[in-house]
Amino acid sequence: MQADLAILLPEILLSAFALVALLGAVYTGKDKLASALVWVTSIVMLVLAAMIGLGDATTQVAFDGTFVNDGFARFAKVVIMVAAAVVLIMSQEYMQRRGILRFEYPILVCLASVGMMVMVSAGDLISLYMGLELQSLSLYVVASLRRDSVKSTEAGMKYFVLGALSSGLLLYGASLTYGFSGTTSFSGIIQAVQGEHLSLGVLFGLVFIVSGLAFKVSAVPFHMWTPDVYEGSPTPVTAFFATAPKMAAMGLFARVMHDAFGGAVGDWQQVIAFLAVLSMFLGSIAAIGQSNIKRLMAYSSIAHMGYALMGLASGTALGVESMLVYMAIYVTMNVGTFAFILSMERNGQPVTDILSLSSLSKYAPGRAFALLVLMFSLAGVPPMLGFFGKLYVLRAAYEGGLAWLAVAGVVASVIGAFYYIRIVYYMYFGEETEELDTPRNPVLSGLLVASAVIMIAAVVLNLFGIDGAAASAAASLVN
Amino acid sequence: MSLFLIAALPFIGALLPGLMIQAGRNTCSTWTGIISLSALIGLLVHAPAVLRGEVITASVEWMPALGLNASFYLDGLGLLFGTLILGIGCLIILYARFYLSSKDPMGNFYTYLLLFQGAMVGIVLSDNILMLLVFWELTSLSSFLLIGYWKHLPEGRQGARMALTVTGMGGLGLIGGMLLLGHIAGTYELTELLEKRDLIQADPLYVPALLLILLGAFTKSAQFPFHFWLPRAMAAPTPVSAYLHSATMVKAGLFLMARLYPVMSGTTEWFWIVTLAGLITMVLGALIGIFQNDLKGLLAYSTVSHLGLITMLLGFSTEAAAIGAVFHIINHASFKASLFMTAGIVDHEAHTRDITRLGGLRHLMPITFVITAVASLSMAGIPPFNGFLSKEMMLEAAAHAQLGDNAWLIPALATLGALFSVAYSFRLLLHTWFGAERHDYPHHPHDPPFGMWLSPALLAVLVVLIGLFSQGLVGGIVQTTAASVLGNHAHPHVHLALWHGVTPALYMSGVAVLGGLVLLALYRPAHGLWHAVPRPDAKVIFDAIIDAATKLANWITDTLHDGKLTRYAAIFFLFTVLASWHAFSGGAGVTLPREPMQADIIPIIAWFALIAATGVTVYYHRHRLLALVVLGIIGVVVSLSFNYLSAPDLALTQLSVEVVTIVLLLLALNFLPEFTPKDSGNGRHVRDILIAVFVGGAVAALSYVIMLTDFAMPSIAEYHLAQSHDLAGGNNVVNVILVDFRGFDTFGEITVLGIAALIIYGVTEGLLGSKVRQKLLERKPNHPIAGDEHPMMMVVATRLLLPIALMVGVYIYLRGHNDPGGGFVAGLIVAIALLMQYMASGYDWADKRQRFPYHASIACGVMAAGITGIGAFFNNMPFLTSDFGYFQFPPLQKFELATAMGFDLGVFLAVVGAVMLTLESLSRLAYRRGDVPDEYPMDINPSRQPKNEDH
Repeated sequence: MQADLAILLPEILLSAFALVALLGAVYTGKDKLASALVWVTSIVMLVLAAMIGLGDATTQVAFDGTFVNDGFARFAKVVIMVAAAVVLIMSQEYMQRRGILRFEYPILVCLASVGMMVMVSAGDLISLYMGLELQSLSLYVVASLRRDSVKSTEAGMKYFVLGALSSGLLLYGASLTYGFSGTTSFSGIIQAVQGEHLSLGVLFGLVFIVSGLAFKVSAVPFHMWTPDVYEGSPTPVTAFFATAPKMAAMGLFARVMHDAFGGAVGDWQQVIAFLAVLSMFLGSIAAIGQSNIKRLMAYSSIAHMGYALMGLASGTALGVESMLVYMAIYVTMNVGTFAFILSMERNGQPVTDILSLSSLSKYAPGRAFALLVLMFSLAGVPPMLGFFGKLYVLRAAYEGGLAWLAVAGVVASVIGAFYYIRIVYYMYFGEETEELDTPRNPVLSGLLVASAVIMIAAVVLNLFGIDGAAASAAASLVN
Repeated sequence: MSLFLIAALPFIGALLPGLMIQAGRNTCSTWTGIISLSALIGLLVHAPAVLRGEVITASVEWMPALGLNASFYLDGLGLLFGTLILGIGCLIILYARFYLSSKDPMGNFYTYLLLFQGAMVGIVLSDNILMLLVFWELTSLSSFLLIGYWKHLPEGRQGARMALTVTGMGGLGLIGGMLLLGHIAGTYELTELLEKRDLIQADPLYVPALLLILLGAFTKSAQFPFHFWLPRAMAAPTPVSAYLHSATMVKAGLFLMARLYPVMSGTTEWFWIVTLAGLITMVLGALIGIFQNDLKGLLAYSTVSHLGLITMLLGFSTEAAAIGAVFHIINHASFKASLFMTAGIVDHEAHTRDITRLGGLRHLMPITFVITAVASLSMAGIPPFNGFLSKEMMLEAAAHAQLGDNAWLIPALATLGALFSVAYSFRLLLHTWFGAERHDYPHHPHDPPFGMWLSPALLAVLVVLIGLFSQGLVGGIVQTTAASVLGNHAHPHVHLALWHGVTPALYMSGVAVLGGLVLLALYRPAHGLWHAVPRPDAKVIFDAIIDAATKLANWITDTLHDGKLTRYAAIFFLFTVLASWHAFSGGAGVTLPREPMQADIIPIIAWFALIAATGVTVYYHRHRLLALVVLGIIGVVVSLSFNYLSAPDLALTQLSVEVVTIVLLLLALNFLPEFTPKDSGNGRHVRDILIAVFVGGAVAALSYVIMLTDFAMPSIAEYHLAQSHDLAGGNNVVNVILVDFRGFDTFGEITVLGIAALIIYGVTEGLLGSKVRQKLLERKPNHPIAGDEHPMMMVVATRLLLPIALMVGVYIYLRGHNDPGGGFVAGLIVAIALLMQYMASGYDWADKRQRFPYHASIACGVMAAGITGIGAFFNNMPFLTSDFGYFQFPPLQKFELATAMGFDLGVFLAVVGAVMLTLESLSRLAYRRGDVPDEYPMDINPSRQPKNEDH
């Protein structure tokens, strides 16, 4: 018991912090303390990230295998914690100024993060579901944080209804899996589920679990909520949606597939490859017609999830490694891009129209260049970091025997490049329009620049060694 | 100098101009020039070794996991291109110093230029193909910055967009092709890869790889059908055009083809695609070039044409053609860069590049004239200039080339291309420089300062020298380069000379020159004809494609994301069913080990009733009250089926839950209009019905299969049935599970139930003073309200029923441990009894008689359950461990008491409290204390009439 709890220490600390903060905020200043709370929360998260990252590097199992703390989980958790903390820092000034900073926001983000940590550490269908729901329920609320906005509430409603549906599906799959494998623990399932021809019940369970998880990573065709939620939510919330939860959901996906169904790769490989192809293409094609940058980022994230799934579909350790690297890069790019989007304002009002970026390079060459770097990186154009992420997953795919998937990925990236380059085109050659405001928040500018610098510097400096970390993380998951 | 340093120098140097610009424009350009020059010197130091046939390499590991190494190598091809890039780069830097006006930010320009230079050098020196890709895209990026340098020119926008779109996408295609190539060869190092010709050409992936690589090369080098972007990128400053669009960047595609020549060439696919694209580009570019009025436009099409020429030569896949290609690369770079620079000088001096507004400049600008004359004669292929030599080699190679069985088409078209080339070269020369001096130049031109004409002059000198002393000057480098192009340790025989005797090529050349001059003489009618013939405009097509793509994308998006939840759900369900079908068809097949139950006639009737009721609910769902009534029927049938399937406890619970929910829904209906508005048309209904039946059928089929299949382990029910009495002293397994085996769960559940009720209370409390409530109070019902608020019959009946219902509740509670019943059901029954009072006698009446707040009931319930649980501690057992015993108090018989009863009491209280609190909260919205002060249930008021508006 004592040892089990010690393994869960980061989760326990974060939950305890969230609860104490909730009580404290309710009984004291409420929203007046929100700003401070946001900062404290992000510091707590960063400390936890350091604690997890620098802590014991062995594989630990708690509560009879319900909770696994291995290299894979730690990698994902560090990304989740850092992403959540950074997004919180980005949100503070933006939300404060618009009067939508509620003290519940950092607390909900905290609770969602606890859910995510449990997700990536899940060693059992029960803990999987628990983590997933803790995350989802927090996110439903966060999505409709702006209760007075029709768009925001509508988006939250759609997200909730579809999310509940997908949770139900996942639960159904989990119960079928349990029924036909006789256990809920991943280590038990992997022993029961082996070989070419699985029993029908397990197959159905697998398909339903995959469908439910596909919703969480917003893979096509379970992606429909994404554009609406991205557009409807306040931008900082969108930024959060685009980063940490994606990492968590992909992490969970990889964990279930390898830890529980690792003996039946052939049975899920095709389904995930199919999801990957659909996501890459739909994400790329649909983004072309978008004029709202938040909606565009939604489709962009759908396409990126397709690439990450491509890594997963290969079913190898290299695949998981490439997926982790891809996600880490993806999160970094998104942080930078959203730092820019958050600072898009005209006369103090936020704008999200892509055309408002026209001729940005004339009056803000530095910002324009930083965004150019990020866009090229998102498009996967060398020498930006995004290219290496794509290279990783492409290699994983064709070394895993999915050469057709790799070719499809390249074709999709060509299509996808079109809309990223279009943004750059507007910035550099667009008609002159009313200028955007000079950003006031140094945090956003700093993050924008930092993220753009990473896009180049990480390439020169061997990806900061993150590929090594990802490799050992993947090795701990796939044996 | 190390190859690393050569490649890195321009990048490092790119920092300098930005700093040096503070010290003045001269310092800035000097330092930029020094960087370029030192890189060039560093490169040339290796020249002797390379010319001896050595290959210089340098390599370090970078990202070995990805197969990416920072490795460079220098062979003849690299040396040639490197020299061109750095050499012409130096000249361009000099030229730009004088060309850029004082308003232009020179520091930025030089920074971009050096970045570009570095990227180009990187391409030609890369050994690792992934590195090559990195540098390849870097040229796109930096060229983008350079083209966009003059941001104030609106016509530049469209061109830049095209350039970026076309080359950008080609570049990504190239990535795919290179990855495939590396995958086939099993290595990403060119030095190793180029040895594996047979392996690569035998691979089934060869053709896709070839197509993708050629896509990259053709887009970069503006080959047909991607030739249209280059002339439109001419809005860039002239130094950029001269550097990127004639000498270097557009040759990157050629470089790539030459680099991969050893492994890719020689196949039928290669010959047809590359030759044809080159041939068409050569002829088409030259033809369009003739009729360009913009000096730079003419030169741009000429560049397209010459690039096509080189491509065609590479397509031939013969030694002589390869030598010709290499030689022409040198020649073209020299005369074309020179011509671009002189065009820039004309623009700079006369403030126009329009040929129709120029003419007669030869006396005004004699130096520039001489340079232009030399370069354009070389472009036309007139001896003794260098263009003549390589053109002869091209014609010679073309004369021997066959397209399938056709022996005359290529020579004829090649001659035609050369003819057009003569025409536009002479047009450039005659229409701009000869003729009468004009008086209407936008600005009176004269020769530029020394620095500005020095660069083109040096190139012109080179044009002459190479023409005269070809073998001695460039024979060595052409030899080495051709050797590396041909690869496979070839030793090509290179002999460059002005005079080869009377060959077919000489005849063709003669025809071309004469024909070209005739065409030029007939320029006016030809020009009229050219404009009279309709022809596709690349810009229109490009825009149409982009438009169509956008429309298609929008159509897809709008179809999938119309913002309606129904469509989202439809996609969701359909895909899930399809995925299940995939699983089903891929599974081990269906064997159903269990026998289905025998169905009696009564259950079948009930089953039909259930289906019919479901259908009626859906059909009449807009009629809310009716739908609710039918919903009640469904509930009853479900409860009965539980009973039939031997679950009386569940049936009891289900029945009471049904009653409570129906009553609560009925209360909610009170606030709503009678009918739901019609929300969708018939077409959508049909769609939805189909989907619903399809998905429902799938779920039914799945359930059927699952229920007839054995699970992996024995049912958990067996354990509970066996242990229920022994461990917990109860025969009602369901109740025992609730209060004992899974007591912790139940404890959590009742807490949640209570919290839910409190939240409803809290939310409605907040609404009491709001507009929502005001609206509810002022709502106008569809029908007049019946005047009798408290129907006498109902009041009497409910008051009689209350004590009976309470007794039943207690009874159910007490028997719960052993027989169907329990705290949960009992709680619901009591709640229903109380509910009836509210309904019949009114909120006001019932509220006054209600002495215990429902909050307290919830709290007591949770506490009772908690205390029971804690009780176990005194027994040295964990929380919620139950205990039981048998007691006998006379006059009662022996009976059992279990701690679980205390727990069940908690459940009972919590359920009563939660249901009633919910009810009370919702009711409060519509009722106010003292709403009907003078009328109570069971009062008789004879004056009361139905409040019908008609009366």
